[in-house]
Amino acid sequence: MNDSVIAIEVNGLSKVYKSGMKGRDVVALSDVSLSVNKGAIFGLLGPNGAGKTTLVKTLLGALHPTKGNALINGLGVDNPASRNGVGFLPENHRFPNYLTGGQMLRIFGGMADMSGSEIKGKANELLELVGMAKWRDTKIGKYSKGMMQRLGLAQALINDPDLIFLDEPTDGVDPVGRREIRDILKRLKEQGKTIFLNSHLLAEVEAVCDTVAILDKGKLIKTGPILELTRVSPTYQIETISLNLDAAENVKRAFPHAEMKNNNITVTFEEPRQLNKLIDILRDGHVEITAAIPVKVTLEDSFLQLLRGEVKHG
Amino acid sequence: MAKFMAILLDSYLEIKARKFFWVYWAVTIVMILVFAFLPNLEIDGRNLLKSGDIPPEVVAMAVANFFNGFFGFMIFLMVFGSAGMIPAFVSKGRIELSLSKPIGRIKLMLMKFFSVYIIMSLIFMVACGLIFAVMSFQAETYTTYFFYGLGLELVRFFIVYAILFFLGIAFKSTAASIMGYFTIWFVTGLLAGREVVYQILTSKIWKTILDTIYNILPKFSDLSDDLISVLQGQGIADYYPLWSSLLFGIVALLLGLLIFNRRDY
Repeated sequence: MNDSVIAIEVNGLSKVYKSGMKGRDVVALSDVSLSVNKGAIFGLLGPNGAGKTTLVKTLLGALHPTKGNALINGLGVDNPASRNGVGFLPENHRFPNYLTGGQMLRIFGGMADMSGSEIKGKANELLELVGMAKWRDTKIGKYSKGMMQRLGLAQALINDPDLIFLDEPTDGVDPVGRREIRDILKRLKEQGKTIFLNSHLLAEVEAVCDTVAILDKGKLIKTGPILELTRVSPTYQIETISLNLDAAENVKRAFPHAEMKNNNITVTFEEPRQLNKLIDILRDGHVEITAAIPVKVTLEDSFLQLLRGEVKHG
Repeated sequence: MAKFMAILLDSYLEIKARKFFWVYWAVTIVMILVFAFLPNLEIDGRNLLKSGDIPPEVVAMAVANFFNGFFGFMIFLMVFGSAGMIPAFVSKGRIELSLSKPIGRIKLMLMKFFSVYIIMSLIFMVACGLIFAVMSFQAETYTTYFFYGLGLELVRFFIVYAILFFLGIAFKSTAASIMGYFTIWFVTGLLAGREVVYQILTSKIWKTILDTIYNILPKFSDLSDDLISVLQGQGIADYYPLWSSLLFGIVALLLGLLIFNRRDY
């Protein structure tokens, strides 16, 4: 393991597939560059077909890049040693259904160069962690989708990796399971693990990630801390009990863009202190204020704005 | 070593989960029962095997022909048992997981190839060895030629499995692998009798074409003749079919590895 703070470095990575009989070029990734720091939970977002899985597969050596290069812990991804200390839960996996959960962990742990005794202890611990201990000796063919995701997560963690790639980890998992997986991810972050999370569930990414990148049609359109994308906007929603006509007219005069509906006022301020002015107007009109709520821009809002081109890419 | 042991365990569990495994042992048990009871059958109060009425060279030829046919049948079963192993291993949703482990592609696939080959060979040796043991016990004779024959069959299975390996990687389909293999097997059978064809197609071009194809492809029919000779203690008269077939198997293995190394999954 190298001493650099960077776990993943991608430089001008492109992937072009040949499609159909005529060998038409399909650009899956176009000149993607990004870096992921050690210890971060990095979320890769994008609509279906954006190139998220292609990027993950390229980083893990399943796809050969057409152009550019990528490093994991300072080693080129064409070097198998770059995958030492790496865990992976693929999307749409088809785990061998002739294995039991316990056998699967034993086999994939062995393929990560772990000894039998190391695997045994770790497998027990992980099956407990993902709530699959009692299904250890049941054939995978009998598992539900959610159970397979849980086992897949245990498999991704079997070699105690420092870097974990998770491609749609909560796919098919019920809300309780999702919450549990989210808690596991947070615990892994506390342990200093780096997590590369590939998901189209924006709320999930918002809840756990500290840095995100957004891919669209193979191009990276935004990368940065999640706080930049989920900033608090200068828009407030003021909730009142008795918004009378006079007060409403005074508000409209002072803030022509204010929207009023069912005793609630939504207004975007040019500067924060204007909030006090609005409150003063309402108090003077004997309006009882119950709440003044800053409207937060969710990751979903930012994501959609970026995809529609409403926000400048950067 | 841990990596190879893991792949070996995976291959063993996969083979065990296939119907082939149970069919194989059912055939073995049936053959053991046949040899355990059949030689005791008496005709007109005389035991045919132990009466000494049958000349030893006839017995040797019968045993050789039996094992030639039996080995062939067991390899036929092994083709069906192993043809799906590689397409399943490289299937979407499974191969990505194996490729994400710290193992180079060539090494990974070689480990898979040899793990399947070792397990299949062990099953083959145990099954045939048990039948041979019962047969020897009943006939009260023992020959080491059987083991040479067994060795030759393992070489033949290496060639067969290398072809299945190549086809499995190239087409990612069990059906295509089986069809491809039997096409080669059928063509080699026809080419073994190409002398007859030359009497019909007298053109020199045809002779050159057929001879070239014969020399390139494995020579299963000739290997079968070699096996009968070996089982009768006569050794191999001409090693060309053996080494040229083995070379074909090695080339098929290398081509499979090359395709796997270059392909996107």
